[in-house]
Amino acid sequence: MKRIKFEYKITLAYLLVGSFWIIFSDKILSLFVEDTSITQAQTFKGWFYVTVTALLFYFFIKKHLTKLREAEKILANHKRMLETTVREKTHDLEFANKMLNATNQLVNSRNKELKTSLENLRKTQQQLIQAEKMASLGVLTAGVAHEINNPLNYIMGAYVGLQRNYETDSFAENKEQVAFFLDALKTGIERSTSIVQGLNKFNHNSDSFDEECNLHEIIDNCLRILQYQLRPEIKLNKSFYKKDILIKGNTGGLHQVFTNVLINAIQAISAQGSISITTRKSRGKALVEIADTGLGINPEHIKRITEPFFTTKNPGQGTGLGLSIAYTIIKEHKAEMDFQSELGKGTTVTISLPLK
Amino acid sequence: MSPRMKIIYVDDESMNVQLFQLIFKARYEVVTGSSGAEALDLLEKHPDTQVVISDMKMPGMNGLEFIARAKQKYSDKKYYLLTGFEIGPEIQAAIESGLILNCFQKPFNLKEIEDCINK
Repeated sequence: MKRIKFEYKITLAYLLVGSFWIIFSDKILSLFVEDTSITQAQTFKGWFYVTVTALLFYFFIKKHLTKLREAEKILANHKRMLETTVREKTHDLEFANKMLNATNQLVNSRNKELKTSLENLRKTQQQLIQAEKMASLGVLTAGVAHEINNPLNYIMGAYVGLQRNYETDSFAENKEQVAFFLDALKTGIERSTSIVQGLNKFNHNSDSFDEECNLHEIIDNCLRILQYQLRPEIKLNKSFYKKDILIKGNTGGLHQVFTNVLINAIQAISAQGSISITTRKSRGKALVEIADTGLGINPEHIKRITEPFFTTKNPGQGTGLGLSIAYTIIKEHKAEMDFQSELGKGTTVTISLPLK
Repeated sequence: MSPRMKIIYVDDESMNVQLFQLIFKARYEVVTGSSGAEALDLLEKHPDTQVVISDMKMPGMNGLEFIARAKQKYSDKKYYLLTGFEIGPEIQAAIESGLILNCFQKPFNLKEIEDCINK
């Protein structure tokens, strides 16, 4: 239902009160006054007055109220706009917040990915180091098999010989022969034992750099394992310091260093040649010099030879990790490895390790 | 019964040579040497040799180099390797080309060798 505006109400009320007054005052007046012409004139005057003032009231109040209403309208409009703005701003803020959360999640997930990649990288690095170790050992296993099969051949020979003597119950008559078989048996066992012990040193997995390392023993171990690679055309000259050289270090690591350097020396010699190994002590350092008369290293390559994966060897002959890992192990020993090389003449690797 | 079969055995490790001699002399006549060059001399001296067994890794000539040279002059003999190595491509090729009849591996298997050379 439409509400009746205030100015109409008040004007209507005024008109009603005025009308009632005129009607009642006429009735009351007519009780006392006889002359109706006067009262009639008065009545008309009253009607006129009430009507005119009612109209004036109406216009005056209407004008006043119109202003008020407009102000109200503007205020309402402002309020609405404010609400809209607030709603919009809230919305924007929520959106920004959502974006921030999403970004946060992204950063978190990226962080996680990075962490995983780093872990993978570390694992791969370890696998590579292990792979290089296995590759070095792979080069070695054929040699190890040969070195063990020979003493096993002694043992087999001794067994067959002794069995025959046993079957014919002829130990007493063949004393000399039996003694020889027993000697072959013992030599066979000793040789295989020493090879297996040497191999165990290679596989010695420990992080300690505080182990007592006998350099001559380590070099001899490496040479024994590399025995089969040392072709008869390669002459080996050993010139060791008169006493044992003991240093503090990592046994397995040092085995890897010398094996890698020696494999390189052997592979550098294509036909005839020699490898000279010299050890000495000088100014608190143990020096090991491994000199070959092989191909030599190209001067352009010499700075890169300790880089991971740098190799000039044919595929399958080297991973390019040997010297890189040897160099790392040398650094871990606070030691140094130096290369002198001339193309066509050979290479000398000098390793200097701090004496304990 | 026919006279005993004559075998030349070559190995640079004297322990292997002596053991081979002692084990095989029961049924064969065994002549031994310690290098390819020495074995070529033995072949010259013992033309009645039927079987030649050689080690692979020896100073100077290796087993296959020695056999290749020996076979040119004495092609009527049976040649074998006895080695501590696995049978690699080089040895495999020698078997396929007929340069050697077989490759025995160390530690030796008496029955395998006897069965093979008696064939």
